[in-house]
Order: sequence, then C-alpha cells, then structure tokens
Amino acid sequence: MKTIRVIYEDGAHKWHAIVRDPNRPDYLIDTNEYLVVAGDDAVLIDPGGTEVFPAVFSALSTQFDPRKISKLFASHQDPDIISSLSLWTEFNPDIKCYVSWLWSSFVPHFGGTKETFVEIPDTGMDIVVGGQRLQAIPAHYLHSSGNFHLFDPKAKVLFSGDVGAALLPPGEDGMFVENFDRHIRHAEAFHRRWMGSERAKRDWCSRVSQLDIEMLCPQHGAIYRGADVKRFIDWFAHLEVGILKG
Amino acid sequence: MTSHEDRDSGRELRRIVRINEEIKTVVKTAYRINLMAMNAIFLAKRAGQSALGFGVLSNELRRFATDLEQQMIALGQATAGSVVTVTAMVKEAHIVSVMERAHAQCDGAGREIIDRFLRRRLATTLSDRLDKVAALNRNLAMMIESTASLVEMGGVLARSAKIEAAYGGGFSQSLKQVSSDFEGTIGEIRKSLDSLSKFQRREFAA
Repeated sequence: MKTIRVIYEDGAHKWHAIVRDPNRPDYLIDTNEYLVVAGDDAVLIDPGGTEVFPAVFSALSTQFDPRKISKLFASHQDPDIISSLSLWTEFNPDIKCYVSWLWSSFVPHFGGTKETFVEIPDTGMDIVVGGQRLQAIPAHYLHSSGNFHLFDPKAKVLFSGDVGAALLPPGEDGMFVENFDRHIRHAEAFHRRWMGSERAKRDWCSRVSQLDIEMLCPQHGAIYRGADVKRFIDWFAHLEVGILKG
Repeated sequence: MTSHEDRDSGRELRRIVRINEEIKTVVKTAYRINLMAMNAIFLAKRAGQSALGFGVLSNELRRFATDLEQQMIALGQATAGSVVTVTAMVKEAHIVSVMERAHAQCDGAGREIIDRFLRRRLATTLSDRLDKVAALNRNLAMMIESTASLVEMGGVLARSAKIEAAYGGGFSQSLKQVSSDFEGTIGEIRKSLDSLSKFQRREFAA
C-alpha cells in the first residue's frame, strides 16, 4: 500500500500526497498522486495507471470516501497518468475527467464516456472543487504536446506533472527534497530527455515565476518546498533540454 | 470472477481465434471445390452423352460448394459476434482482478466499498456474460453440426461422381481423376470441421 500524507491543510481544504509503494514491481515507474479535498468534494490529480490502482485506492480510502471524488485531473495522456480511468468511473460513473482538448478523443481509449471528459483549452481554465478555485496552467510540450499543471492559489501549491520529476534511487526517495544539489542530479537526465522544447521551457519558467508557490509537487520523485521551488525554476531555466544525451 | 476466471476468459478468446482460423481454412477449400466443380462441368460437356450423369453430379457439387461457402460465412459472422462478447469478458475479468488486489490491500471503509463492488459485479455481470457465452457456444455447435451434415452430403456426391466416371467412355480416366480430387478435398474439409468441432466443444472455464 502507498503512503498518504497531508501536505497542506486549512480547515476542510487539504492536499494529500499519495507516494511510494514498497510492493511496486521494479518494472513500473514510481508515481505520485495528489488528492485535493475541499469539504465534501475532491479532485484526484494524475490518478495513475491501472497497475497502481490498488495501492492508490487503498491509501486514499483511509482518508476520504473514494466515491465522493467528483473530478480527475490528467496532466496529459500517458498510461502512468490516467490508464486507471475506467476503474475510477466504476465508483462514480458521473466523475469528470479534465484533460487537454488535444487528448480528449485519445484518453477515452482508457475508459469513460463522452460525458466523462471536460476539455481544457490551450490557454487553461479554472476548476472549482468544493468552492476552491484551482487553475489549470499551460505546460505544453513539457513533455506532452497538450500538457497542464494545476495551481492552487490559496494553498500556494503547484502540481507540476513531469516538470520537477526525479528518478530516485532507494534510500534517497523521501517525500520532500531535503538537499537540493544532491536531489537535482536525479532529475537532470530526465529533464534533458523528456522536455522537448527550449521555448516551451522558457515560457513555463516565466509563467510560474509570477505565481506565489510554496510547494512544487511533481508526478515522480520528491516535493520541492520553500526556497527550493525558486531554486528548481532557476535550475530548469538554465538547463539545456530536448537532447538525447546529458 | 477470480484470477482463474481472468485466465479462463483469455483462453476463451484464444479458442475463438482458433475457430476463426479453422473457418478460414474451410472457406478456402470450399472455394477450391467450386473451381473444381466448374472444371468438371466443362469436362462432362466435352465428354457429351457418355458423361451425362457425371455432369449432373458436378452441378450438384458446385451448388454444394456455394452452400458450404455461405454456411462458413454465417459461421464466421457468429464467431465475430463471440469475439465482441468474449473481449468484454476479458476486460471485465481484468477489472475484477485489479479490484481483488485493491481489496487485499484495503482496510475499513475502502474494503467495504470494494466488497460491495465485487459482490454486485459477480452477481450480475459475470453471470450475464457466462450466459451469453453459453448461448454463443450452443449456436456455434448447431451451425457446425449442420455444416457437417452438408459435408456428408458432399461426400456422397463425390463418391457417386466416382462411380459415374466409370461410364465416361474415353473420358473415364480424366473424370475418375476429377472425382478423386473431389473426394480428397471433401476429406480435407471434414478434417477441418472435426478440428472446428473440437475447439468449439472446449467449453469456457472447463
């Protein structure tokens, strides 16, 4: 079973991180899922692949009734992001899946019906969860051509999808980044290879620099907090991306 | 549905694919018989008065080949319908097996939610699908049986053609060769039908 931890809490408004499954087979990439709860409503961010569903569901259900999750947010179309879709719709057939318009006819291959999908336009949109307004922030070409991150202005938390991801070795896989310089070595090759566009990277860095972020939460690896958030954005801005070898 | 049933539904899909391949073989052979029958009709015409009986049988064999082809097309369509049902079953089995894994990891409220899901699912969807597969199997069995009767009739026609060939005068040898080819080809069809029947009888979750 994965670990679920509250990373932000203000009354009934909470961010949960669902991380690290000790029983995960080593041929599956490790993923982080995030549950944002506001009162009786919740959005599950990048719900994960079919194979990790049991670990995600069991961890999540210790904190929140999974049938009350009204929204799924898929940063992009990859199987480790959203291939569990058909399993979540089993518990709430009315669940809405927010995904880039670009993938709205591709992701249904994983499940759902026409009514399941809410297309996010290229410029982004607001997603309201139990009265809390979250913002889908464009992150196209980082790495997917239709890609979004999710910002919670009140909690000052940015879910950053594959940006900030790190492939951590055992023993260095804590939930939070504790030593930036040591941590970032595990992120470098990933960003150079997966992030395909210098221009998209610069746009993203400039866009998120204007946000007031206290936590940057990637889909793989550890969460950046406080000063490490700006440190990461600066590091990323100067990294040469879209190349085959580091 | 358990992980055993998950494997069984996969086996069922493989079984349907084998049936489909066997149907394709029979269709190809039926097409060959059709051509052979046309040649036999021309040969009988050339042989004239002495091969009148052979000519009639060649016409019958051609009709038989056309009927067989139609029968196999219908069987192919029935099999394609089975693929749809069995694919849904495979998908269902996969969902249930993931939920069973979730059940094993859950405690408290999560476990109860999965429990209810599995009970509902096993009581409704699985039995519906099993009923559908059983009905499809019965339909396939009936179609294979009626095809087998048709092929038996083809065998009788081929044997009669062999006898008629003996009265073909100067063409007797050629007519005998053609009727032997008929008999051989019908033998091939019979063999394919036997395999088809064997795959069909391998019931789901046997």
